[in-house]
Amino acid sequence: MSENKAKKGITGKQILIIVIALVVIAGAIWGILALTGKKEEVSGMLMQEGVLNVGMEIGYPPFEEFAEDGTTPIGYDVDFAKALGEKMGLEINFVNTAWDGIFLGIGENYDVVISAVTITEERKETMLFSDPYINNYQAVVVAADYDGEITGFLDLDGMVIAVQKETTSDILMSDYKDTATIDITISANEKIATCFTQLKNGEVDAVVVDSTVAVVYAASNPDAYKVAFEDESEPEQFGIAIGLTNTALQTAINEAIAKLTVEGFFTENTAFWFGAE
Amino acid sequence: MNFLKRIIDVRGWKRASKTAAIVIMAAVALLAALSWVNVSEEEMLQSASEEMQEIIRQEEASSRKYVTVTYNSFGFIKYLSFSTSGAKAVKETYIAFAGQVYPADTGFLKFIGQMVNYTYRMLGSGQNILHGVKLTILLTTLSMVIGSILSIFLALGKISKNKFISKISSAYVFFFRGTPLLIQLFVIYFSVPVIFGFSWRGLFAIGDTEAVYKGAFLAALIAFSLNAAAYCAEIVRAAIQSIDKGQGEAAKALGMTYGQTMRHIIIPQSIRRMIPPLCNEFVMMIKDVSLVFAISLMDITTISKTIMTSEGNYLVFFPALVIYLIITAIFTFLFGKIEKRLSVYE
Amino acid sequence: MSDFEYILRTEKLCKSFGHLEVLTDVDLGVKMGEVICIIGPSGAGKSTYLRSLNQLETITSGKIYIKDELFLHREHNRTIHRIEPDRQKAMLLEMGMVFQSFNLFPHKTVLENVMIAQVLVRKKSSDAARRLAGEIINMVGLSDKLDAYPSKLSGGQQQRVAIARALAMEPELMLFDEPTSALDPELVGEVLAVMKKLASQGITMLVVTHEMGFAREAADRVIFMDQGRIAQQGTPQDIFQNPEGERLQQFLQSIL
Repeated sequence: MSENKAKKGITGKQILIIVIALVVIAGAIWGILALTGKKEEVSGMLMQEGVLNVGMEIGYPPFEEFAEDGTTPIGYDVDFAKALGEKMGLEINFVNTAWDGIFLGIGENYDVVISAVTITEERKETMLFSDPYINNYQAVVVAADYDGEITGFLDLDGMVIAVQKETTSDILMSDYKDTATIDITISANEKIATCFTQLKNGEVDAVVVDSTVAVVYAASNPDAYKVAFEDESEPEQFGIAIGLTNTALQTAINEAIAKLTVEGFFTENTAFWFGAE
Repeated sequence: MNFLKRIIDVRGWKRASKTAAIVIMAAVALLAALSWVNVSEEEMLQSASEEMQEIIRQEEASSRKYVTVTYNSFGFIKYLSFSTSGAKAVKETYIAFAGQVYPADTGFLKFIGQMVNYTYRMLGSGQNILHGVKLTILLTTLSMVIGSILSIFLALGKISKNKFISKISSAYVFFFRGTPLLIQLFVIYFSVPVIFGFSWRGLFAIGDTEAVYKGAFLAALIAFSLNAAAYCAEIVRAAIQSIDKGQGEAAKALGMTYGQTMRHIIIPQSIRRMIPPLCNEFVMMIKDVSLVFAISLMDITTISKTIMTSEGNYLVFFPALVIYLIITAIFTFLFGKIEKRLSVYE
Repeated sequence: MSDFEYILRTEKLCKSFGHLEVLTDVDLGVKMGEVICIIGPSGAGKSTYLRSLNQLETITSGKIYIKDELFLHREHNRTIHRIEPDRQKAMLLEMGMVFQSFNLFPHKTVLENVMIAQVLVRKKSSDAARRLAGEIINMVGLSDKLDAYPSKLSGGQQQRVAIARALAMEPELMLFDEPTSALDPELVGEVLAVMKKLASQGITMLVVTHEMGFAREAADRVIFMDQGRIAQQGTPQDIFQNPEGERLQQFLQSIL
């Protein structure tokens, strides 16, 4: 009887048809919307009058983290954003967001991303960057009692390496691994702190991370970590990520950065957050 | 009403309930007394050392704000810290208990201070409802309520004789049970706005600084509700089908319509059978809420990970465990009570 | 009196489950006030016949008339004619049913069990429903159990509540589907007593039963069903005193 049939539910074939139909419909809608350019041009360069909304993954010390009260963002980028806001005459609103999908939120949830973002050619295809505001190198951090010598990434051969997921460190190490230049095992983590704890606990042999971060971790935990190598041959630069069409905002930000440079803000900020230099 | 009467009728209570009530009341009284004698925030602030007061004076003159004052109060115990940021960080910590302020920079008192601070942050105290425990409970409860209402329709759809309705319902359940919740969350938060040309944040006032989080909460609520509906639909369907066929026949013989039969006869009886598996689902959901880290919301798990990131202190996970256990215990207790009330006729 | 000859009549009623034919060409007419007992070996199709009447089973072919009006006509598993839906509902309410396994609503008290359909289906006010329910429950002798849940009652009491529940809809015809088969022997009597009381009040009843004593005493007509057909029918005297036919004799011997 019909009731018995209904109990059997739907067959695999029917499910497949339904799924394919759904995918096709969704794809078609997506495609049409993309072609017709559904996104209206931003009339002003900001989503909100007089406010610069800044997307930030607040969990990457010393660039950005929450102070002990759990609500105040502090860090190099935080101070930079505030100085920038002052120069541009804008109020700054920090929007805490997960690193995954952080760039998807530009123009939706915030105007720009200031979150230790490395400028890469690949990223330039989908977003604009401000002029760089800090130089950074890829660095290798090992346990303080490590007695080997590391003079380049090739020396990492055979090691287990921790990196933060989707960062330039991750991309760099994956490149080395995929091209079989060196044989390494990569442990990619959500948070940079996890990488360092893995190192402390002996789960991994080394952490590859931005030098600016490496220096601070090593300085605050000299018993546990030391910086073994900084790749100064390939400097990386951090920039502010801006929506791909928002050239007006890019220009305004670059003017402000130029003024801050002249006033010596960056020298002072670097000294405050990273000690000397 | 009966319930209220039962509460007031202390003599009718079970012995264990009486003991529990006395212990709880004694504890509350003790904590209230300790809070009463405890020092005020102003007094605590004065315990800052000379050096720290000097640093604070300097900061006021400087353009850079680098001192964070953290004050966490549970009444009977209070935590206060001054911390500076930057490469040369300085920190001073105090706890106040029973009218005395103690420096808590080392040893056991430091540990106590950390526990107070971590617990305070994970509870989302001093913040709005979209933080910490409040977020976890709100999101779990709302999604389970919406989800279980939806699930009744899904379950009825699944057992419907109408092939189209039954297939659609089955496909829905299959889809949401067959894909990871995190991906569903991503699709709803990231893909759906692009496809339909809106933004979650845009649904709220533009000047509202919390609009981003409200938008994320709404997206999470939708994702969690839709997902819960699929899981609960199986529970509801099983419960409905476990009711003796004779019940439906008797109702039909009395002239009741399908809707009346479901509403007055079948569903009320099956609800009791749904409670234990729904409680399981609820407890699972409390933990699944931690997935909201992916869309910028801060639940208990996310806050504990954030603290771990900034302070590298793994002790933070212990208060998190205790908080989760307490929430789970409370809800398991409530579900048990509901089940008991629904089984009066058995 | 009534302006119809039969309250219920079936013509060539057939029912099969897949290839298994359970009922074959059952012709039967029930007159107002008649008490008919259907007896026969298990598997004869007695219960299926009863359940076909109030649409708990869908017949394969045949005609069902209610008050001489064609209610349903099916051939080869297709509906040829069906009375319009709103009248259909009203006509089905002319039949009340009592099940072998009582099927009381366990989450409702005795009073609620007897009230609920009056309120939901007959659209009575709950006061009116309560009044009638009270009278009927009193009639089946359970006035002291109004607020009890079914799980607190004995099987015999539950079946009496089930009878009250069906009576509360004020049907013209009561269908009893082996009402005492699920009961312990010492509880059968109280249910049969209620049924006899109904019979003596002139309520039309169609009873599938194994209680030959009841059939002999209360029935106007006894129908012997065998292998899906009406094998024999007659007064209790005809059937029990002078049974004709081998199958009926065998059956009566086995049961007495």
